[in-house]
Amino acid sequence: MNIGDARAEIMNSIRTHLAMSAPDDVLDAPFNTDPFKNSVPLAAQQVVQLFKRNVELVDGHCLVVNGQSEVEEAVNRIANGRGIAVSGSAVSKQDLFTVGVGVTGAQAGIAETGTLVLDSSVERNRLVSLVPPIHIAILDASKIFLTLGETLAALQSGAELSPAITFITGPSRTADIELTLALGVHGPQELYVIINEGTITNQGAPA
Amino acid sequence: MKVSLFVTCLVDQLWSSVGTSCVAVLRRAGCEVEFDERQTCCGQPAFNTGYRDEARLVAKRFIEIFAESKAQAIVSPSGSCTAMVHHFAELFGDEPEWRERAAAIAARTHELSSFLVRVLGVDDVGASWQGRLTWHDACHGLRDLNIKSEPRKLIGNVRGAELVEIENAEACCGFGGTFSVKYPEISVAILDQKIEAIERANVQAVVSGDASCLMQIGGRLSRKGSKVRVMHLAELLNHR
Amino acid sequence: MNTETFAENAKAALNDAQLRGALRKATTLFGIRRREAAASLSNWEDLRNEARAIKDDVLLHLDRYLEAFVSKAESRGAKVHWARDAAEANLIICRLSVERGARNVVKSKSMTTEEIHLNAALEGAGMRVVETDLGEYIIQLAGETPSHIIAPAIHKTKRQVAELFTTELGIPPTDDVGQLTSTARHTLRERFASADVGISGVNFGIAETGTIVIVENEGNIRMTTSLPRTHIAVMGIEKLLPRFADLDVFLKLLPRSGTGQALSTYQSFITGTKRNADDEGPDELHIILLDNGRSRMLAHPVTRQSLACIRCGACLNVCPVYQQIGGHAYGSVYPGPIGAVITPQLIGIEKAAQLPYASSLCGACREVCPVKIDIPRLLLHLRGEINQQRTNHRKERWAFRLWAAIMLRPWLYEKTAVAARLMQRWFGLPLQAWTSGRDLRPIEEESFREHWRRSR
Repeated sequence: MNIGDARAEIMNSIRTHLAMSAPDDVLDAPFNTDPFKNSVPLAAQQVVQLFKRNVELVDGHCLVVNGQSEVEEAVNRIANGRGIAVSGSAVSKQDLFTVGVGVTGAQAGIAETGTLVLDSSVERNRLVSLVPPIHIAILDASKIFLTLGETLAALQSGAELSPAITFITGPSRTADIELTLALGVHGPQELYVIINEGTITNQGAPA
Repeated sequence: MKVSLFVTCLVDQLWSSVGTSCVAVLRRAGCEVEFDERQTCCGQPAFNTGYRDEARLVAKRFIEIFAESKAQAIVSPSGSCTAMVHHFAELFGDEPEWRERAAAIAARTHELSSFLVRVLGVDDVGASWQGRLTWHDACHGLRDLNIKSEPRKLIGNVRGAELVEIENAEACCGFGGTFSVKYPEISVAILDQKIEAIERANVQAVVSGDASCLMQIGGRLSRKGSKVRVMHLAELLNHR
Repeated sequence: MNTETFAENAKAALNDAQLRGALRKATTLFGIRRREAAASLSNWEDLRNEARAIKDDVLLHLDRYLEAFVSKAESRGAKVHWARDAAEANLIICRLSVERGARNVVKSKSMTTEEIHLNAALEGAGMRVVETDLGEYIIQLAGETPSHIIAPAIHKTKRQVAELFTTELGIPPTDDVGQLTSTARHTLRERFASADVGISGVNFGIAETGTIVIVENEGNIRMTTSLPRTHIAVMGIEKLLPRFADLDVFLKLLPRSGTGQALSTYQSFITGTKRNADDEGPDELHIILLDNGRSRMLAHPVTRQSLACIRCGACLNVCPVYQQIGGHAYGSVYPGPIGAVITPQLIGIEKAAQLPYASSLCGACREVCPVKIDIPRLLLHLRGEINQQRTNHRKERWAFRLWAAIMLRPWLYEKTAVAARLMQRWFGLPLQAWTSGRDLRPIEEESFREHWRRSR
């Protein structure tokens, strides 16, 4: 079977059928759309608080610290002696599946939903945020956007999109059995977001 | 205001008191009512079952008859039949003159409660009825014609009537035209959920703007030996 | 169960008290959550209009957007394959797997792969396939098909799942959902770790960037698309969006409409393959573009809107028919209101002629659809098609011809009414379909028009 045939046939089918609908399309009423209303901007502190609230609403934990040493202290406290794998270093498959805690950064956050953004070109071993039962994400307060729309625009502002970008909102969950909520189906059961405010500029705008 | 009554075949043959009540209410609201005896049906049964050619023939006849009327409004005691008239234009895809004529007729065709409240600005017709009742939002009236607050305003001014809302007032009663006899078991299963809510509400009557829904609901209530009666909005508004 | 035995399927479902209880609970809860989530956004209606406008644009220019998507995806390292129908799609996927010596395949939930019956094809080619979405895993163990677009095991009670796990996985009997879930987690982890090929669906394909977007709550999609060396993504050709920024609209509408969440737990945005060989992630990405009847639906604006569907399941939850009979009764991959309109279009009207009539046309589906598909209008269109193609019963066609003849002649209409009155008085009316469950209101002895004449 010639692969080229399938593409040509499908394209041809699309064009032929679209042409058939042209006379009726004229009668079809279009949907009116109002231009998008932009959300009201918030001050940096409010953005952080909104983000924290939304992480907690989806059963995640969120703490706000100031500076690198407080970040490390928080990570150790949460890990509480369990083995840690970090996204910056290579991890063997063995370790990935046995370690208790995975630690990653996050390249951005979305305040209106409490969402973390992980970019594969920075977080080299993102599986560390998925496989271990506990995921700790460290996020600069200055990297939190208010809205999904702003975040999508920011992701596109570079050269080209990374091969893999992941949004994470809360721990893994399911309600497939009688609509009863269960956390930690395949992904982590617990999610901790450590917001480092030590990087906010004086003006309070995202860096 | 001069009004031409579109009584609907269902009311004409199966529930004439709805027609007479509708006339009385319109007169009390200050309208002069005419009735063109050439009318029969809007075509909804055929349209809804996929018989577009038959529906088109009947729709054209409807348009011709009512176009001759000098009345400012065509009023009907049925949300679904009124909605059908508003859908007439869909039948005339390649007949632009008929499409225009259909649009003109639709523009002056109103369901009763919508006509009273939105067009005449009347929400009190001096009715009275003692007891607890609930309102069933018939689907076409609700979703095609946005009829929701108008009947409630009118009922609110019926002296002695206590309106109790059921939690699924907007849920379909399961009639759906020929659906009720093509898939009777499903139709009754849907209906029973509505009946459950009605019985829980502890009312004396169920009121609606569509006789077809009332036949469906009333038919099941009486089969179950319930004391709850069904009443059309026109009948309620005509009650003194 | 198939689409041609719909009437019997529905009756059986109505007699299944356990099913009806499960359905009632689930659809009620989903309905409440959707309503609340929609109400929480003041611009919900604007979003719906915007989404529909975007989809209309995509569908009207599908050839252009597909070409852009393919070109972009291929420039980033993805291999794109075109499948005219289910058989071709399965052939391609099996060939890719066999060529790579695959034995173990992990799959995430994808209605498109259900549509083409992929699992059977893979197993036929000698592969072990495991569904990794919890709901899909449950029904795979049970040997069933999904009964809902987003909650495949919605028809099963906790007790039924527990019994299934005990029988199939040998765990001690338990009533605890947490334990059932962690059983699935452990069992499936072994499969993830040893899988050669991961197969997923696609929620949105972005023409501008060649990105595929997949959304989930559990994490199995991330596992499926990161651990195995080969990722195969099956995508209906209609799943495109023009721009990356359009995701702002759709990621707001989809989770809220489906489960009432502001956002699902995980979104994966995959653009081509990894940059370096030793990076994490699959070595290869294959995107299978599936037609399977979709291009035909472009032929008329009424049918073309079917392709705007983003598979949220909201219409199922609010449909009075679905609420009573559940998904299996439809006998098709896609159940509920959307299923009733796309199934006849995908598999042929003659094979699914009952489905368009299994609706009271209440319009609740149209009200909740995030992309404003006018399902009742589509149902009427299909009923018209069935009539045109004479797939319906001759008796009914003649009945409506007679009906029209009567309705066009007021004198005949009145004579017929009188005859019916007499028949009612002497023999009763032959409406067993009505009277089996409901009392019948009798034809009036004096019609409205007779009264009007009399009281002039």
